[in-house]
Amino acid sequence: MAEAHQENSSSGADFDLSQFYQIFFEEAGENIDLMEQVLLTLNLETADDEELNGIFRCAHSVKGGAATFGFSDVAELTHQMESLLDRLRRHELQPNATMVDVLLESADAARVLLARHQAGDTGESPSNVDLVRRISLLAAGEVATPAAVMLVVQAPLPVAPMVRLVEHVLPVSPSVKTTRSLEVRIGPLERPVEADAIKELFRDIPSLGVISVLASSQADTRVFAIETSSSDEDLLDLFAFHVAREQVHIKCLDPVTESPEAAFDYGFFDRVGDLPEVTSYDDDPPPGAPLAPLPGFGFFEGAPGVPKLDVAIVEAKAATRPVALLAPPEAATIRVAISKVDQLINLVGELVITQAMLAQNSRALDSALYPQLLTGLADLDRNTRDLQESVMSIRMIPMSVVFSRFPRMLRDLAGKLDKKVDFVTQGESTELDKGLVEKITDPLTHLVRNSCDHGIEMPADRVRAGKPETGTITLSAVHQGGSIVIEVRDDGRGLSREKILSKARERGLEVSDNMPDAEVWMLIFAPGFSTADVVTDVSGRGVGMDVVKRNIAALNGSVEIDSAEGYGMKVSIRLPLTLAIMDGMSVGVGHEVYILPLSSVVESFQVKADAVSTVGQGAQLVKVRDEYMPVIELEKVFQVPRFDFEKSCDIMVVVEADGSRVALLVDELLGQQQVVVKNLESNYRKVPNISGATILGDGKVALILDTGALVRRSRH
Amino acid sequence: MGAMEKMGDSVLAGAREYLTFRLDQEEYGIDILKVQEIRGYEPPTRIANAPNFIKGVVNLRGTIVPIVDMRLKFSCSKAEYNDFTVVIILKLNQRIVGIVVDSVSDVMELSTDSVKSAPDVDSVIERGAVLGLGSLGDRMLILLDIEKLMSGAAMALVPDAD
Repeated sequence: MAEAHQENSSSGADFDLSQFYQIFFEEAGENIDLMEQVLLTLNLETADDEELNGIFRCAHSVKGGAATFGFSDVAELTHQMESLLDRLRRHELQPNATMVDVLLESADAARVLLARHQAGDTGESPSNVDLVRRISLLAAGEVATPAAVMLVVQAPLPVAPMVRLVEHVLPVSPSVKTTRSLEVRIGPLERPVEADAIKELFRDIPSLGVISVLASSQADTRVFAIETSSSDEDLLDLFAFHVAREQVHIKCLDPVTESPEAAFDYGFFDRVGDLPEVTSYDDDPPPGAPLAPLPGFGFFEGAPGVPKLDVAIVEAKAATRPVALLAPPEAATIRVAISKVDQLINLVGELVITQAMLAQNSRALDSALYPQLLTGLADLDRNTRDLQESVMSIRMIPMSVVFSRFPRMLRDLAGKLDKKVDFVTQGESTELDKGLVEKITDPLTHLVRNSCDHGIEMPADRVRAGKPETGTITLSAVHQGGSIVIEVRDDGRGLSREKILSKARERGLEVSDNMPDAEVWMLIFAPGFSTADVVTDVSGRGVGMDVVKRNIAALNGSVEIDSAEGYGMKVSIRLPLTLAIMDGMSVGVGHEVYILPLSSVVESFQVKADAVSTVGQGAQLVKVRDEYMPVIELEKVFQVPRFDFEKSCDIMVVVEADGSRVALLVDELLGQQQVVVKNLESNYRKVPNISGATILGDGKVALILDTGALVRRSRH
Repeated sequence: MGAMEKMGDSVLAGAREYLTFRLDQEEYGIDILKVQEIRGYEPPTRIANAPNFIKGVVNLRGTIVPIVDMRLKFSCSKAEYNDFTVVIILKLNQRIVGIVVDSVSDVMELSTDSVKSAPDVDSVIERGAVLGLGSLGDRMLILLDIEKLMSGAAMALVPDAD
């Protein structure tokens, strides 16, 4: 573990991930909190899939993040949790109280580990060897029997948000350091020689203290004098590797300094001999209540020859020292619920509309008669604009913030998998709403990981397939019409139609051999679907795609997969521009008003009747300087009703999208203004050639043209 | 006062409250809990290539809301827009939709006894969207499952299934 972090900090020079640490810690904290809440309310008999999947996803997200940032201890722990949860959600195991207890304990342990990382990896890393072992036993479907379990007590930390954790821990740690003199009596034992192993503990772990053998009055009892800084609890845990806990009697020879831990009574001693199926939380502890370590795991029946003893002891030793937690550095940011920002933006949007209305109505006023009113309105105009920009800028961040976390992750990943991967990004400056960025990061991480793990082949395989040894993963972002399209492409092995179909049958999904490719590819979004041959730390549980789809659907977006076996795969995520303010140009067609995105407008001019020529079946072209471009009559596209006596359109607006230009025929240019883009799809549906709607100064709705769609239309 | 008791009783009897409205000569009822508000008609922004009964979209305090003229949807003989034309704003499952009707008549409570199942008849209303027929004296009230009706493919209000 320690090495892994060392490596992190040393190779941090090529890329700085630290800016994302805070986000990760916050997200991981939230995920663990959520997991705990669900666990505490979980009804064991009737646990529904949604809950189990929910807990699983929490563990999975934490694991993914931890692996990305190189917190291998957290990743390992959550990986084990995930394995157990995976079997639960597949109904291969029936959840029971022990599992819930162990999972809750794991959640605490994960918090401790995270708190330690957040505090800059200070203090010794607590060990979770025992916890991990217990989870894996449960995941294997066995009851973790006491004899098979070594107890490594996690520093008994109350479950509380990290900041509060500090207050709880600090009073404990200083006094633990003081050395105490103890008399330890062990017995009666059938084979007193076993107790001699205690001496070896002290030899193996120099920091534990000094031990000496005292004369014993009984032959079946050994007595030791110990000078140590460890607490009774910790000593008992260590001794439990060799002798049963109830046979150990510790007497403090130094009454002045008593171990603070002695004050805690976790009931270890009363429960001796009980089976581990214990302390279910049926009697409703308050959420977030301190969780006692499990009784029932805390004893040991004296089985000699516990495997890997030395390692375990060293780890156990590490755990005896509570983690020295520092308060995390105070962040210069505040986290605010998205809904609050949304509300703010909506209100500002309304304000802008009101302001526009006032401006419109005051235009007729004589500035000589109402100088103050008009100055006031001008100020209002400027202030609303500034306010709007500030509010909007709260949410907009460039895609580079997301993209930049991938090179490092891919480097590590490729190294781990012995693959060679180039990472290319395009469109980093594309700005995206922060809410979207936050939500798109996880799915993108999954996709990039999947590409690296499953897509890109081993270098040797690539060479054999006649491809360059180094694979390429491309991440691109581009604004397209009313959407943002983010693509993850790789030139790896692509998806195997056969494999997916057979896997789908195995899982009992309805498939047929002559399904179109696109439908086959969509199968990989089914929960628990994975075609990977091995479940790895990286990916392969099939949870990724399930999460990807769910997250993107939650954003009103869509995912498309394009793949050619042997050549690679492309996943396109299309997200609607749910929230944006756009510079628009309003144009009039008949009695209707449409908005053109100003960014796509190239020029406009009055057209002469002879400048338009037709080709073939009436397709119209206009010559603009030396270029012929297609003419689109908005009047026809949008079936604008018009009376015969009205004049016809004679203004052309040239717009550019996707690298092509078309001329739109309109009646008049009404002006330029900033418009709040509203989604038509939230209450209605997608309308062809329209990317959204906005509200004009008079409160009417105007539709925003999707110039990309119009350009594509002209090509057909 | 007595309203609470009345409500309590009605829950026991399985009664529900319906907002009734008229389309031409017919009287319809919809679950009052689906109704957000009732507004006067204002000309919406037309949407090109939409079915004729979708009049367009309006701005409802910052939200873009589609307006469906039920009279056109149910092929009524006439659909006039005047100062008395009413729009019922429905709050359906996560969607807000406005429907244009001739007039809103009443809010009525109907017990399950007084709701008869509708016989299968050839009608513009898709099958399954009629909850039943309520009889109020000699008047017949057509009870609609408005949620189902508005989310049906024929309404063209929601994205196609693909």
